Amino acid sequence: MSAGENGAPHVRGSAPPPSLRIATPPMRVDDLATDATFDVAVVGGGVNGTGVARDLALRGLEVALFERHDLAFGASGNSSGMIHGGPRYLVNNPNVTRTSCLDSGIVQHIAPHLLFRIPFLVPLKSGPLGKVMLELYDAFFRAYDDFQPLKRGKPHTRLDVSDVARLEPGIVGSIAGAVTFDEWGVDGARLAVLNTVDARERGASVYLHTAVESIAKAPREEGGPPAYVLAARDVLTQRAIRVRARIVVNATGAWSPITAALGCLPSSRIRIRPAKGIHVVFDRRLSNYAVLTEAIDGRQIFLEPWQNMSVIGTTDDDYYGDLDDVTATSEEVRYLVQGIARIFPQIREARAIGTYAAVRPTMYAYGPYEDSLSREHAVVDHAPDGAPGVYSMIGGKLASYRLFAQEMSDRIAEVLAPDTVCTTHEKPLPGGDRVPDALPLAAQHELLPVLARRLVYRHGSRVSRILARMTKRPTERAIVCVCEPVCEAEVRHAIGEEMARTVDDVARRTRLGLGACGGMRCAARCGQIVAEELGLPPREGMAQARSFLTRQAKTRVVAMGTAQARQEALALAQMRAMLGTKGDT
Amino acid sequence: MKRVLVVGSGVAGVAAALAARARGAQVTLVGTRPGATVLAPGALDDAPWESCAGSLPERLPLPAPALGVLDALGAYAVKGSGVLLATTAGLVRPARGADRALLDLASLPPGPVLVPRFDHPGYDARWLARAWSDSGIAKARSLGFVAEPAQLTRYVDEHSLPDADLAARHDDPARLAWLAGRLVEALRVTPRPLAIVLPAWLGVDLSRAQDLSEQVGVPCGEALTGTGGPSGLRFERARDRALAKAGVEVVAGHVVRAEHGGRSAEAVEWLVSLESGELVVSDAVVLATGGLLGGGLEYTPAGSVLSAALPPGPRSIARATIDAPLALFAFRKPLETPSSLQGSPAESHTWPFAEDPLLDRVGVRADEDGRAFGAPPGLHVAGELVADLPRTWLAALTSGAHAGVAAAED
Repeated sequence: MSAGENGAPHVRGSAPPPSLRIATPPMRVDDLATDATFDVAVVGGGVNGTGVARDLALRGLEVALFERHDLAFGASGNSSGMIHGGPRYLVNNPNVTRTSCLDSGIVQHIAPHLLFRIPFLVPLKSGPLGKVMLELYDAFFRAYDDFQPLKRGKPHTRLDVSDVARLEPGIVGSIAGAVTFDEWGVDGARLAVLNTVDARERGASVYLHTAVESIAKAPREEGGPPAYVLAARDVLTQRAIRVRARIVVNATGAWSPITAALGCLPSSRIRIRPAKGIHVVFDRRLSNYAVLTEAIDGRQIFLEPWQNMSVIGTTDDDYYGDLDDVTATSEEVRYLVQGIARIFPQIREARAIGTYAAVRPTMYAYGPYEDSLSREHAVVDHAPDGAPGVYSMIGGKLASYRLFAQEMSDRIAEVLAPDTVCTTHEKPLPGGDRVPDALPLAAQHELLPVLARRLVYRHGSRVSRILARMTKRPTERAIVCVCEPVCEAEVRHAIGEEMARTVDDVARRTRLGLGACGGMRCAARCGQIVAEELGLPPREGMAQARSFLTRQAKTRVVAMGTAQARQEALALAQMRAMLGTKGDT
Repeated sequence: MKRVLVVGSGVAGVAAALAARARGAQVTLVGTRPGATVLAPGALDDAPWESCAGSLPERLPLPAPALGVLDALGAYAVKGSGVLLATTAGLVRPARGADRALLDLASLPPGPVLVPRFDHPGYDARWLARAWSDSGIAKARSLGFVAEPAQLTRYVDEHSLPDADLAARHDDPARLAWLAGRLVEALRVTPRPLAIVLPAWLGVDLSRAQDLSEQVGVPCGEALTGTGGPSGLRFERARDRALAKAGVEVVAGHVVRAEHGGRSAEAVEWLVSLESGELVVSDAVVLATGGLLGGGLEYTPAGSVLSAALPPGPRSIARATIDAPLALFAFRKPLETPSSLQGSPAESHTWPFAEDPLLDRVGVRADEDGRAFGAPPGLHVAGELVADLPRTWLAALTSGAHAGVAAAED
């Protein structure tokens, strides 16, 4: 364990000192020197942190946002990709369902381009209770229908056996019927990116790939309010920065207790019970509906068509490992595939192209099964720990991120900007104002229709900026990633306007390299573009491409079957020939 | 005359066929499906190159049968001291040899190499020139790459054509002369370079690099390119010419079984069944069906088997796709059936999890003449089907040549 400049431990995982008081560093001249002063420093670039940064920036506060990896690196970018209305809370807590549906409607309003309808189908097994269950589900979703208008959802339907066979022919087994209900899908990584872009355009300073190493009390000015100094380091350039802020928000999800320890705050006050969830991605849409079914242990799992792929998920297991390196294992993949295959056997022959995994920041409780843990959220005020003005956001879920961010921001605004109100539910996210129609756009600009459609999905009205790049430099029309597809102009836009700094970052923003070929045809070229745009040495671009390809291969091979093994061998041979698998020459 | 049947038309199979034919055997080659060789980008390796900074360790010259095969193919240059290739991923890498269309940088004295710059999707000459110049190998040899304008595409559709299609266009002498003209034009305004490195466009029937170099007056050659390049096509053409010239009978089809037996008590023969039901009788068989990528081996995780509710039974992680008396090995040990109903986890035997992945080593154990361990006489294996052999082009060629000689002479 090494000590930071301020005497505060800054190594991840270090135990907080026994004192519950925040350490006041010894006064030194350079302690006073900070690079910038802000009203609020937000730590964590997931949907919650970026949501708070946007909310506060809209209220006119000066905000700094820090993220140790990239935006949506954790749970935000690796969720099931849904803004759902929370039907599971309907029986015990209908108010949660109401607010979830309301917020789903709000996100549709502020980012209409980013949401897509996912109709769900729940097949019910035939048997002595089959008909009864069908009636029960029918009644349940009739009650849920009352909330659907809040999120522009369609009312549920009840299907008999022949309807199911016609609408979802992939489903096998003896069923009594099915009910359908309506939910919305979203790209969580884009959501975090758009919140960040907006916050930045409204004055926030955003530091990505920048690890906060310590949070210490700033020397107090005469009669002034308490303030904090955050020491951070850019992990790509090793450049150190120090900023001063009146208020600090810890929005680091599963990392929250670790972040708190950097400020010598007791992690026991913000206990979470990290739970790992994995998803397996298939190369195409295999079904018309998202299908809900049960795993071998009775847990609910699903197969969903999501963007241009299919996703099966999810697991929910207590996690004790490294939060920076969460990967799916082949065992987890088999558990999911086994469960889905019982009702949708084609899944065994479908081509899995990757997996993704993340850790939910579930609120702590000892005893219950992971699935029964609360998905609620809470703001923890660290004033009782001797750190007034430091808050931790714990728990939460993608669907309620905006509401959670509003709750946090309202607390801060009470102190710093009492006359302001939240406007995140009214003001559109970047690109969400006038979403253009993709097909006329494709015709007008001579683009592949699918490319235009994907561009509009990701960028809404801001597609005009990418089109302007293409007009100015026709070579940027070149398709870099064929699978998605992603054109060169979009890659450069992601670097220039969306703060991507690595191939991995570009992939998170554009889905480059996440398709069927696993980046084999685009990673090297993307690395070239990143290096060129950022003025990095060429070998740095190659190193990024190599590490992206290696990481993608890791997420793929745990799900590979016979046919994929052959493709893996090809991928490896190509990589060996072109880039090498390690080091540089 | 001894009858030798070779299964597989990649570099190992062709080497076996040509070597056996050169030893006087009557050779039939079955199976013309594309495999690993056709996908290989044209660098000839015998070991991983990434760990060699700059130059490869000295190796013994290739054995005579292997040299004979290379000679018959005529499309490759192998040098004891190795060659240096520029890859379109931006690296300069060493290799033992290369497709003749590729530019060998090792023979160049210090000085500038020209990279023609023109608008072409995904081909950024300026960046490539920077990246190659920046590589340790180029710096050590004082090779500088300079990107200078030269419009090398002729028609609008060429913007969206893969390299291999463009390579095919340059088989046309008139088109090649046009390309030479453009390069000569570019040289008028550029200080004379040592060589010109081009995209992988220099012919499919034959390497046109030599022709082009003569017309331009400066050595010209391709950069090494991955997916979509013409090197595999050039191999196929060179293979077909060499097999025809040597008098090897080529039979299209897919082998499903190789059985040891004989129609009479004294004649011990191999009966090889094709998918079509046809039966080929031969004195010796060389299986060069490739590894995982070539299709000779199949990865068989238990979990991938279609089954309803019951967990599938345990099975070993790989099997040979041809029904023959073959046992699979890896790391000199028989491949075991994992003690798991679901098969062994992929994490433990694949790249990039394992440093030396079991899936890279699995195959049939054989002596250096390719005689399969534990199999009846006359059964030889070559190429990636051989256990623990490096998965490289030259290793496949050498093992094929040895197996061909042994099959013809045993």
